[in-house]
Amino acid sequence: MKLKEVDRTAMQAWSPAQNHPIYLATGTSAQQLDATFSTNASLEIFELDLSDPSLDMKSCATFSSSHRYHKLIWGPHKMDSKGNISGVLIAGGENGNIILYDPSKIIAGDKEVVIAQNDKHTGPVRALDVNIFQTNLVASGANESEIYIWDLNNFATPMTPGAKTQPLEDISCIAWNRQVQHILASASPSGRATVWDLRKNEPIIKVSDHNNRMHCSGLAWHPEVATQMVLASEDDRLPVVQVWDLRFASTPLRVLENHARGILAIAWSMADPELLLSCGKDAKILCSNPNTGEVLYELPTNTQWCFDIQWCPRNPAVLSAASFDGRISVYSIMGGSTDGLRQKQADKLSSSFGNLDPFGTGQPLPPLQIPQQAAQHSIVLPLKKPPKWIRRPIGASFSFGGKLVTFENVKVQSQQGAELQQHVFISQVVTEKEFLSRSDQLQQVVQSQGFVNYCQKKIDASQSDFEKNVWSFLKVNFEDDSRGKYLQLLGYSKEDLGKKIALALNKVDGPNVHIKEEKQESEFLPSAGGPFNISISGDIDGLITQALLTGNFESAVDLCLHDNRMADAIILAIAGGQELLARTQKKYFAKSQSKITRLITAVVMKNWKEIVESCDLKNWREALAAVLTYAKPDEFSALCDLLGTRLESEGDSLLQTQACLCYICAGNVEKLVACWTKAQDGNNPLSLQDLIEKVVILRKAVQLTQAMDTNTVGVLLAEKMSQYANLLAAQGSIAAALAFLPESTNQPNIVQLRDRLRRAQGEPVPGQESPQVPYERQQLPKGRPGPIADHTQIPRVPTQQYYPHGENPPPPGFLMHGNVNPNVAAAQLSTSPGHMHTQVPPYPQPQPYQPVQQYSFGTGGSATYRPQQPAAPSASNAYPNTPYIPSAPSYSGQSQLYAAQHQVSPPTSSPTASLPPLPSSGASFQHGGPGAPPSSAYALPPGTTGTLPAASELPASQRTENQSVQDQANMLEGPQNGWNDPPALNRVPKKKKMPENFMPPVPITSPIMNPMGDPQSQMLQQPSAPGPLSNQASFPQPHLSGGQPSFHGLQQPLGQPGMPPSFSKPNIEGAPGGPIGNTIQHVQALPAEKITKKPIPDDANKRLEFLYDKLREQTLSPTIINGLHNIARSIETRNYSEGLTIHTHIVSTSNFSETSAFMPVLKVVLTQANKLGV
Amino acid sequence: MVSVINTVDTSHEDMIHDAQMDYYGTRLATCSSDRSVKIFDVRNGGQILIADLRGHEGPVWQVAWAHPMYGNILASCSYDRKVIIWKEENGTWEKTHEHTGHDSSVNSVCWAPHDYGLILACGSSDGAISLLTYTGEGQWDVKKINNAHTIGCNAVSWAPAVVPGSLIDQPSGQKPNYIKKFASGGCDNLIKLWKEEEDGQWKEEQKLEAHSDWVRDVAWAPSIGLPTSTIASCSQDGRVFVWTCDDASSNTWSPKLLHKFNDVVWHVSWSITANILAVSESQQNEQ
Repeated sequence: MKLKEVDRTAMQAWSPAQNHPIYLATGTSAQQLDATFSTNASLEIFELDLSDPSLDMKSCATFSSSHRYHKLIWGPHKMDSKGNISGVLIAGGENGNIILYDPSKIIAGDKEVVIAQNDKHTGPVRALDVNIFQTNLVASGANESEIYIWDLNNFATPMTPGAKTQPLEDISCIAWNRQVQHILASASPSGRATVWDLRKNEPIIKVSDHNNRMHCSGLAWHPEVATQMVLASEDDRLPVVQVWDLRFASTPLRVLENHARGILAIAWSMADPELLLSCGKDAKILCSNPNTGEVLYELPTNTQWCFDIQWCPRNPAVLSAASFDGRISVYSIMGGSTDGLRQKQADKLSSSFGNLDPFGTGQPLPPLQIPQQAAQHSIVLPLKKPPKWIRRPIGASFSFGGKLVTFENVKVQSQQGAELQQHVFISQVVTEKEFLSRSDQLQQVVQSQGFVNYCQKKIDASQSDFEKNVWSFLKVNFEDDSRGKYLQLLGYSKEDLGKKIALALNKVDGPNVHIKEEKQESEFLPSAGGPFNISISGDIDGLITQALLTGNFESAVDLCLHDNRMADAIILAIAGGQELLARTQKKYFAKSQSKITRLITAVVMKNWKEIVESCDLKNWREALAAVLTYAKPDEFSALCDLLGTRLESEGDSLLQTQACLCYICAGNVEKLVACWTKAQDGNNPLSLQDLIEKVVILRKAVQLTQAMDTNTVGVLLAEKMSQYANLLAAQGSIAAALAFLPESTNQPNIVQLRDRLRRAQGEPVPGQESPQVPYERQQLPKGRPGPIADHTQIPRVPTQQYYPHGENPPPPGFLMHGNVNPNVAAAQLSTSPGHMHTQVPPYPQPQPYQPVQQYSFGTGGSATYRPQQPAAPSASNAYPNTPYIPSAPSYSGQSQLYAAQHQVSPPTSSPTASLPPLPSSGASFQHGGPGAPPSSAYALPPGTTGTLPAASELPASQRTENQSVQDQANMLEGPQNGWNDPPALNRVPKKKKMPENFMPPVPITSPIMNPMGDPQSQMLQQPSAPGPLSNQASFPQPHLSGGQPSFHGLQQPLGQPGMPPSFSKPNIEGAPGGPIGNTIQHVQALPAEKITKKPIPDDANKRLEFLYDKLREQTLSPTIINGLHNIARSIETRNYSEGLTIHTHIVSTSNFSETSAFMPVLKVVLTQANKLGV
Repeated sequence: MVSVINTVDTSHEDMIHDAQMDYYGTRLATCSSDRSVKIFDVRNGGQILIADLRGHEGPVWQVAWAHPMYGNILASCSYDRKVIIWKEENGTWEKTHEHTGHDSSVNSVCWAPHDYGLILACGSSDGAISLLTYTGEGQWDVKKINNAHTIGCNAVSWAPAVVPGSLIDQPSGQKPNYIKKFASGGCDNLIKLWKEEEDGQWKEEQKLEAHSDWVRDVAWAPSIGLPTSTIASCSQDGRVFVWTCDDASSNTWSPKLLHKFNDVVWHVSWSITANILAVSESQQNEQ
């Protein structure tokens, strides 16, 4: 694409790469005349300003020269890296002269721009080149085989590279080697090229084609390979570019025959050795790859020849070409559209007429259209091959969770030669170590409940009094008599006070006075025994007496008050009843003016609000103490709050921080956060950590002391917590981030963050997700061919296990709810991938069995799970195992686990203990085994879940336990769930899990149930249901009962309305499991040997159907097929244990995704067959 | 501080040009001169090839994940002048749209913040930037900024969906009035900031000049709730600048030279919390 053009018939030279901005120097070309026949010459410098979209180049300077030029180059001599000095322009003139110009002076408009001049050459100087290693060295070539090496620092006396070549001829090109600094090549129109070694001062090799038709117009060294160079021929009979390698200099390595007529100039890109420009008398400018000969690009040119062509050293995509029509054009080889430019051209043309209305028609002419150009394809394509400089070789990008993804394209020497290593590295970036370790501590504390110690540690480590106070206050929350301790902290120790009072009493006579009064009273009383005079005189005494005599206490009190006989008044009021007393007190307080009256008022009137609202804020301590002492529990928090609010709204920053203490007393987390945030810079991770530590501890405290529902999280706190979680996540602590993320909020950003964290944690995300539309689920099951075909193509291990269930991936409802199944799956996946193989055997079972386990422990399991999930702080201690304990066991452990099942299952439900070992429970346990969490969930008696989980969870878990049974009946209807997670989540997961839960028991139990046909066992199970109907008791049932028959039995005792006995089938088909479910008939029609061996119920068949599909599609690997044959053989011989061994072998050696769908069933069948001895 | 936790052997047959994790950090998309785009599941230190996407006819320069609220969508751009948008449907990745509106290599793609909808900005060597907006029903609306950067746009990066300062006192519940902006860098050594006008047209809002050679990459820092906007840029000239604008109304940006390397700096990337900048330089230094 053409970028710029200048109308000059001139030689051209780009400024060196160091120079910024980019300049183009032009010097009037010798041996060419334009139509004016002018022999004036000039040297001009233009600036390439690409931010200006016009075609014009900005002329920076013009210098009228007395010379015309054969060659012009711009060397970086004496330039520093910043390009402050713009190097030196070296021109080859007509009369054997070489002239050095200072371009900066030309630009500055100086008259004296010539640095030096020397006319030692004979004839025109056509060849010039600057040594790129020593930029002060310039080679020049002229007639009569003259080659000189000029030192720009000592320009007077040039050197020669050696003796002149014979016969004498013109030197048309000269070029320094790009790799070895003392090697120089020259070429002449005769077609001979000579390579000189300046250290030896002689020609070392001569390169020439034997046909002698080469007419060298261009010579260039390979930018990277020291021994290669190209020669271009101007001869129309041989319009070629020859690539020579001096290691084999007898014949050209390659000949590029892309031009139809002689080549006038070439230029090899320094930025990409695969780009060689050539222009010829066929009026073409081609860019070809000299290493292959392929033409990569043809510049769109007009029909004129170009005689000079140059790459821009600084901008590798730019080149300039000088053509015989008197124009220098600047092109980009990156293609692009020229529409914009063309329009400008047209505008320019039409406006150049000057008069927009030349014909006086009163209408301006429309812009000139240039039809011929418009007809042209306006889009210029870029190079066929991307140039090296746009191929990004390296990169690093951050991603969620503080991960950094990096790659570099490193060539590694291997035995096969250099190889590109195509590795991408994922790294964890941790920058806040202290933050992380403190966060860890906090989490540990929350789990271990060691709050008091933690607070003490914090107190000890506190650096400011305030910090110390805060932690002391927090600590008190966890101690007995918290109010008393608060008072102590405020400086009001009861004991101290007692001492002080005692002291005071001894000093002053205060108490004595009091006692005296009593004495007086008592003195008075005895006298009451004697006769006394009731005065009814008219004075106050008399009036009072009269009032008293008439029982008019009110008036008596008034009289006393009036007479300022306060004590009398109050005593009378006491006798006059509550109401009167209250009124009297009020009046008294109204009259009394002592300093502490208001306090007394408040104490007596129990009006703490008054104190808190109106006390001087300097006395906040006292106010708080009063509240702590007197306030009733139900108003305590509010009062502390109120005080805090007042403190906070005060401008004084000191008081503001004190408000925090009030909020701590109040247990008001939200306000604490608000207050804290005001005072601190929340963006510093450590200060955020400071806050979160306090908040978390306070929340715990509130939970303990006030039994409040602490799961409600205010907006601000939620924001802080999520900010905190974000920070943790950014440091890679995703699990911790999840733990701290508030649960019971549906603020979208938190829900999103939680979802993101969960997934980031590596919880399985079903292959496809359609997050927005939870309903898509309905359509997905149909996709049977889809998923299956899919996972034959792609080893999608983690996700694949979900497909058989038809994944409606819990369309994870991105906006609304997190993905729930993560809980289950996380446990599975958290096992390191390295374990994949060893786990394989148990793994396949997830489909059939895992649900059982899930279901049976449904609630119990989930409750125990919670700790790792965001619930961690609240319920953590209930569940010591972290989810990441690598799953114990390899495959070999399975049998043990299986055996263990007998021991473990009984305790969970005593009724079943008496049953013959129920394989179903065994199976579920077995499955649980491999993943640590499930097994531990199992080990945890369900009862414990009731005792330890956070209060809020309990009801949910109870509910689900009951409901899970119902749900089994209702299948997709029950929206309740309490699977543990935030309420919003419940719906989706439930639906998803049901089918899983539901299906598994069938294949497992059926083989037993049917063959055994033992009605007793069913009978036994039935009673077991109603018996211990508590949550725990009911929960084992589903998984133990498993089989349809017993299942029905179960439902009724539980008061379920009878359900259609056939419910399981429709359910399965309707469920996502459909893909497998809907082929029952298929299976039955199949003459598969394994199935015919034994009577196996439909559900197992469905599993096996999957296998048949695989067999039909022949997508199983040979090893598996072989193994299956072996199993078949062992079945035929009824050697089931051998079959099991083979099974084990297959599973442990094959790809999990291949076998997961059907191997477990095979195993069950084999195991049963073995046991039953069929 | 930086520890490799997973090494993914991509088995690309030629140079890798980009590697990006999805929103969750569980999947890795890579692209290469071998014309392919690959997606790996890299959870738990594993590497499972999920998809090997073929469709480009030239080297693929960049990949970009869309926000998952729109599904699993990946955009890739290539020297073949095309932008391809891939989507996962039913577990299979397929081409869902092909944008052929550029006349030269498309060097950069970047999804707008999800709050704006599904919008993709593409920067090309033809100097233009195009903006693809999903209008539903598989239709994409195209807007093009011609001549954004003469001889080529190398990078585009969206501003976060927060009007600077708005997080602090934004009335909740009210749909914020986003001002869409993005930054671009190009072969004219410039960084340009573009802003969507009320009529939906894109207008050059600002020109940031400091580099003396091609701007190889620009990265607008994620918002962390502060009123300051930050952009990082890197260039062929080896320099990395961090530009900040403290006052959205005056819109003045001041550059700070972060570092001068000795060779091309190809890529800059902010961490999610915007406190770390990864810089990719030819000599393989990162900081």
